[in-house]
Parts: sequence; structure tokens; C-alpha cells
Amino acid sequence: MRLKVICCQVLTLEMNYVVSRSPHSIEAENLPMGLHDLGASMRPQLQERIDAADQGGYDAILLGYALCGRGTEGLRAGKTQLVFPRAHDCIGLLMGNRHDYQAYFDTHPGVYFRSPGWIEFQTPGKVLEPALATERNKIGERRSREELIAQYGEDNGNYLFEQFGAYRRRYSGLTYISTGVEPDDACRRLARAEAEKQGWGFEEIQGSLTLLERLVNGTWDAADFLVVPPGATVRGTLGESIVEAE
Amino acid sequence: MSQSKELYEAILTGNAKQAHAATQAAIDAGIAPMDLISGSMVPAMDEVGRLFEEEEYFVPELLLAGRAMKSAMELLRPLMVASGEKMSARVVIGTVKGDLHDIGKNIVASMLEGSGFEVIDLGADVSPEKFVFAVEQRKPEFVCLSALLTVTMPAMKTTIDALESAGLRTKVKVLIGGAPVTMEYAKEIGADGYSENANGAVGLVRKLLAGA
Repeated sequence: MRLKVICCQVLTLEMNYVVSRSPHSIEAENLPMGLHDLGASMRPQLQERIDAADQGGYDAILLGYALCGRGTEGLRAGKTQLVFPRAHDCIGLLMGNRHDYQAYFDTHPGVYFRSPGWIEFQTPGKVLEPALATERNKIGERRSREELIAQYGEDNGNYLFEQFGAYRRRYSGLTYISTGVEPDDACRRLARAEAEKQGWGFEEIQGSLTLLERLVNGTWDAADFLVVPPGATVRGTLGESIVEAE
Repeated sequence: MSQSKELYEAILTGNAKQAHAATQAAIDAGIAPMDLISGSMVPAMDEVGRLFEEEEYFVPELLLAGRAMKSAMELLRPLMVASGEKMSARVVIGTVKGDLHDIGKNIVASMLEGSGFEVIDLGADVSPEKFVFAVEQRKPEFVCLSALLTVTMPAMKTTIDALESAGLRTKVKVLIGGAPVTMEYAKEIGADGYSENANGAVGLVRKLLAGA
């Protein structure tokens, strides 16, 4: 098959690995990570890439995305079918099984997840440029203390910085998801160092490439993948299947 | 006059110190707490909400307005308790189990407080059992649930189920909110209401209280 992959940057390392081993002819593109922070602006950015790929005569457009806080809800297939793995987010994708993810999440509250992509591509101080000026303000929580003080004064600036950072202080552990894809060792060390710096516990779990592998190999069993036929759109269900087409 | 222009301005501009000072001045001038709340705080909050809808105010401005309201309530609450004045309703609020996000929930809590409601904030990662316990102990009229992740949204249903099992479901109105939450989901899990933002949440509580 001739396949197009549109993939979140955070999955680049894992996706490159499985694409290189796929028997199909695949063209892959990455979009910057963190689009889920843009809320409603995420979908149009993805839809634009899907629409562009729709002209390429591919047998399918594969999405290296999950429900992503509903950021992928409403995506529409043009004349090319879309294929989605069933997962809430990239962490679930890298665990390879949404049931395992839910079980782990339920028994490990207060955990901050890291994967090789989350470490490799996280540039300190990098700010995503949103599509609209108003969206820029909605992601105010990414601003530095200095920027907030400059805009709101010292008292309010400090208050806002504390508020936006508060949830991070409630994390008690960091879980590193290893998928064996390089540079796994280096990323593991950095993850461990981050945990120590924050005073968090550190745990490593084995991820799985099974969802990404089956995505690019074309084995799209209905239990784990959603195939969106031409003209249909993606809908989030919050149920067992996570996403459906309508 | 039961209004304080200074307090209104302080909330609108997110100036907690000025809100505190203006409230003290109003108290010293003999203005009753509920009059100050309905005359100055609620209108200020309504205006903040309107500016948010117009996309002139954003989350930081809401947080700062909430902070200003909190500092006013610090002075007003003890007076109301001492005079036996009953708040119009009691609200238990929290972010559901497994979810640590609380900024939206905090904004809703401070706006409800600024409207004169008694707010019991259980924090984040609140188990269904903890919600049930709070309802048993404090007998609120409303329970507000917040979640920011689709992975933790199912905890909203388990919390409602837990209230049901404890025989408390019919005693409260359950409202839900959070970025990935929708009206459809609220209907699906049998919640009594949903709002897209903090301003809407306050409006919904007032509407339900009025028996609509």
C-alpha cells in the first residue's frame, strides 16, 4: 500500500523505527508536539495536513495521534480513509494497550510521564505559536515568572506563576516509558535526573510499539483501530472504544 | 448605599490588596456583607465573565479577579458566620480522582464564593469516597466535578454512582466541567448540568437554585 503518516513530534523516534520496518511505501510528516495545549485550534491544524495529503492518492492516511483531549475529534476524512489507533493520548499509545494504561493510571495517581520523545524534543523555554492571537493568552500557563511579572506586576505575577505551576508540585512520581528505541539509555538517564531534581520517585515501565507497528503495517483490527471512511468524521466516545466514526 | 465602587474596580482589575482595603472600608461604613456581595461583588464578577466571553479577559485575569474576591471574602465570611447569616447555598467542589489539574476548578470556586455561596473545595485527585463523605457531613446543595483529561473523566461517573449507592444522589445537584467535558457526556452520566466556563457555572448554580 501507499500510506501517508501524519504524526505528533513526540512519537517521532518510535514512528521512524516502525516505518523503517514496514513492508509498505510510507511518507511521514511530523507536526510540532504540544498541539493539545491549543484546545480548539488543534483540529484545524491537523485537518489542513489531512486535506493536503488527501490529494496524494494514498491508500490511507495514518494518524500518529490519539483522542488527545478531544483535539482530534471532528477530523474529517476526504476521499482517503483515515486510520486512528484507539488511545486517549500518546502515553496510552506508547503503552500499547489502552486497558493497561487505564489500569496503570488508576493505580498510580500523581505520576508524570516521560518517553524518549518527551525528553528528546522538549526544548526548555520553547513556546508554541498558536494560530490565533487570543489562543496565545489561553496558554498563559507556559509563560515564565519574569514574563508574568512584567505583564501583571510583581505581586500578581508571582501569584499567577505559583497558580500555573501548582499542579506540577502535586506529582509524586515520574514514570519513564521505555520502548527500546534509541536513544533510550540517554533519555532514561535524563528522566531519572529530572525525577531526582523534582524530588519525585522514579519508575520505569516497558512500553510497546504494537499499536504503531500495526498502524504502519496495515493490520487495522477493529478492536484497536478506528478506520474512518471517506466523508466520515471522528467522534470521541469516552467509552471502551474511545473513538468512533460518524 | 450598599455599593463600593472601589471593591468593584478592585475585582475587575484583579487587585487583591485594594479589594481587601475597600471591603474593610465598606464594613467600617456599616454596609452589610450580603449587600456588598450583591451590590458590588456579583456585578464585578458578571462583568469579568462578560469580558472573558468577549475574549478580552483570559485565564490569568479570571485568576486575579478570583484572588481579589477571595481577599474580600476573608473579611466578610467571619462576619456572616457571626451574625448567623446563611449563605444562599453550599457547594462542594473538586477535581476527580486521578486528575491533578485545578486551575479551572479554582476559578469556579472563587467565583462561586464571590457570589455569596459557601464553597467547600476538596482540592484535586478527590476519590468518590471523599466526595460522598463531604456530602454526608456538610449537606451541600451542589456538587461540582472537574476533570481535564479524557482518561479521568470516567471518575465523574463513578462519583455519581457512589453518591447513588450512598443514597445521596437525589439530595444534591451534580454539575460537571473541564476542557474535554461536554453536555452530551453530562447527559450520558446523569449529571444535572454542565458548563463550558466558570461564568456559566455560576449562572447555572443560580438558575438551579431559583428552581428553574
